[in-house]
Amino acid sequence: MIELINLVKKFGALVAVNNVTLTVPRGEFFALLGPNAAGKTTTIKMITGLMKPTSGSVRVSGYDVVQQPLEARRQLAYVPDFPFLYDKLTPWEFFRFIGQLFLMDSARIERVARDLCARFSLDPYLGNPIESLSHGTRQKVAIVSALLHEPSVFVLDEPMVGIDPQHARVLKDILKERSRAGTTVFISTHQLSVAEEMADRIGIMHEGRLIAVGTRDDLRRQSGTDGALEQTFLALTAQESAVDMQGVRQKVGL
Amino acid sequence: MNCASTSNAGMLWLLVKVNLLQTWRRLLSVRQQSWLLTTVIAMFLAGYAALAFVLFYKGLKFAGSFPGLGHVLIERMMFLLFAFLFVLLLLSNMIVSYTSLFKNRETLFLLPLPVPIQTIFQWKFIESAILASWAFLFLVSPMVAAYGLTQQVPWHFYPATLLLILLAIVIPACGGAWCALLLARFLDRRSFQIGLLVTAAMLIVVGAVWLKPVGVTDEELETRVLIVLDRLLGKTRFALFPFLPSYWVAAGVQQWAEGALEDAAFYALVMASNALFFGTLALTLTGTAFYNAASVVQSRGSALGRWKWYQTRRKRRAVDARQHGPVDRLISAIPRLRPDKRALIVKDIRVFWRDTTQWGQTVVLFGLLAVYILNLRHFGAQLTSPFWSHVVSYLNLCACALNLATVTTRFVYPQFSLEGKRVWIVGMAPIGLPQVMITKFALTTVVSLCVTVGLMLLSGWMLKLEIEKLADLGLSAVVMTFTLNALAIGLGALYPNLKEDNPNRIVSGFGGTFCLVASFLYIVISIAILAASSPWGRGGRIDLSWVLGGRAVFLGLSCAVGLIPLRSGLRRLAKFEL
Repeated sequence: MIELINLVKKFGALVAVNNVTLTVPRGEFFALLGPNAAGKTTTIKMITGLMKPTSGSVRVSGYDVVQQPLEARRQLAYVPDFPFLYDKLTPWEFFRFIGQLFLMDSARIERVARDLCARFSLDPYLGNPIESLSHGTRQKVAIVSALLHEPSVFVLDEPMVGIDPQHARVLKDILKERSRAGTTVFISTHQLSVAEEMADRIGIMHEGRLIAVGTRDDLRRQSGTDGALEQTFLALTAQESAVDMQGVRQKVGL
Repeated sequence: MNCASTSNAGMLWLLVKVNLLQTWRRLLSVRQQSWLLTTVIAMFLAGYAALAFVLFYKGLKFAGSFPGLGHVLIERMMFLLFAFLFVLLLLSNMIVSYTSLFKNRETLFLLPLPVPIQTIFQWKFIESAILASWAFLFLVSPMVAAYGLTQQVPWHFYPATLLLILLAIVIPACGGAWCALLLARFLDRRSFQIGLLVTAAMLIVVGAVWLKPVGVTDEELETRVLIVLDRLLGKTRFALFPFLPSYWVAAGVQQWAEGALEDAAFYALVMASNALFFGTLALTLTGTAFYNAASVVQSRGSALGRWKWYQTRRKRRAVDARQHGPVDRLISAIPRLRPDKRALIVKDIRVFWRDTTQWGQTVVLFGLLAVYILNLRHFGAQLTSPFWSHVVSYLNLCACALNLATVTTRFVYPQFSLEGKRVWIVGMAPIGLPQVMITKFALTTVVSLCVTVGLMLLSGWMLKLEIEKLADLGLSAVVMTFTLNALAIGLGALYPNLKEDNPNRIVSGFGGTFCLVASFLYIVISIAILAASSPWGRGGRIDLSWVLGGRAVFLGLSCAVGLIPLRSGLRRLAKFEL
């Protein structure tokens, strides 16, 4: 479970995340959408503990990310849009390293990694240095390493970038399986089709605020649209921009 | 191994192990490169160590030959050298720690993992200390060996000195890491730049006042040597301040060399207690401070953002961004320059200017050289002799070229690699990669020429050289500038590293090291040829054919060193697969 409680993040005068409150329960697949610079990545950075909130708090599986960082991180897995990997290691060595950081024993690392590698067709690359792998293969290595310890909360920032359609399908299946098994999946993406197909609930951020949260039908009702998620998204963000502009006009007396 | 029992120390060991494995594989990958180049680099490093040793040995012998004063002079030189090296080590640790802790992708990767923050800090602290200090060990080893030989020390002096130096490394490593944490926590980029400029200005003023040249008459030098020497030593007494860690190392080394083992052991224990105290503090209590600073670094707004005038200025700049800037207008003034080349030049100038670390290092390197050359006027009396004037003018040319070689290796060599993942932008443009490289070569050469020719003219003016001598040195500087830029650009295209965004890492690869070695060898050989065939050498009694022959060899060597890599690089780029 992920709980964001009155979360605020300020960069100097700029409010990047503005009083966001949200609970993503255990086993839910949650997709966070929003235009560029809406505050999605900043929110993710606070969930993963990369950044401290200016005010408010984040709890992962009941653990406060700032107060109980180690307990929270043991429950968490995070795959950023451009993941860091040790270039001179092979994928297998990298998996073993990550597994050991999560205190997994060798047999378990091997069992889980073998299964995931087979599904992502990584077997031919397991003995090659990571530096020789393509962008998509590196992304798959990062995802496998994140799933190794069977996290209870899985946070992904644009995970489909660089992955071919076949393995994007595999990833979607795995995420859905994990979600059904009780893992909370929190994904930030610009690919509305992914959110539409996969998410139990969708959140839309705009200029630091969470302007809408709900199922696809909830969002359609809120936006007054009836088509694909794209229309809903555009309508909601346009409404919000119009409200903002009206506020500015009122402020300057136009 | 039972992984479930992995403790914090176990986590640290895991991080160390994985990074050791990475380093070992990087070393092994050297085997895939040409053995000839590897041998040249190894010989260069060995040659540097040998040359440094010989220079230190001869210098210490010379200083020791002054009856009654030799011992005092050598002692003071040791204290001074350790004091300056200690300050450099502190600065180096500060810069490396800042990069490792706050600008490093591994750190960001580790932060969301269940690794205690203190353990991440411990690993980054160890890594930074090693990266910042290996050069210190390399620099100090020939000096210690020469000192040991001139003082005829027993064998145990060397391991004892090594232990003292290893202990000494811990203190600046802690100081550097803490300074980096404080800078990251409390200063944004602009405040840091302002602070740096103010500190540099203050240091220059203090240095200028403290080290003001003192006039000494010939009579004083003949009859009042001790008084003059005392005045000189008075200016360097700061190195004897007993609370400086450099004092403890220098005193320990010196006492051990003299056989005063108890006193040496005392200083070793002082070092050990301080190293243990500060090291323990750093390794056990700095994690939270590091995490707070790391969070602030990632979420920092402009320090000036709350001010109205700054907000207005930003809005104005946003509007101005659509207009042509001053660099655009300046480059547009160059006649017959094609728009695509102009765009490339403007882009390169902007990227360079906006990266403070790039031009900051260049300014420091050439600024120091300019200060030295300007100070030559204080040696007017000593440089009236044509011999010394001749020697110093060639040494200045050598120093200028060596500085340029450092700059071309650091900034010009990675020019192509820095296009990196963006190489398709210029690669796909109709200008073509060879033209891109020629434009970069022209830009870097023109900028370098302004600096090198300017410095050589300044040097000639300070040394009051005749116009012919000045022209000779100036032309030599021009040829060397062309060659060094061509070498760096050519090798940069031959050994590209398009995966790396960090220019320091690009330069520290095989091609960068080879570029530096080749540049240094070219400079040393060229200066030797130029000085040996100078028309003003040996009192002007040199055969004209010898002079012309020497100049022809210099030109031939320059063409070979510059043009061969440049042409090979261009050929490679013509067939480069994006």
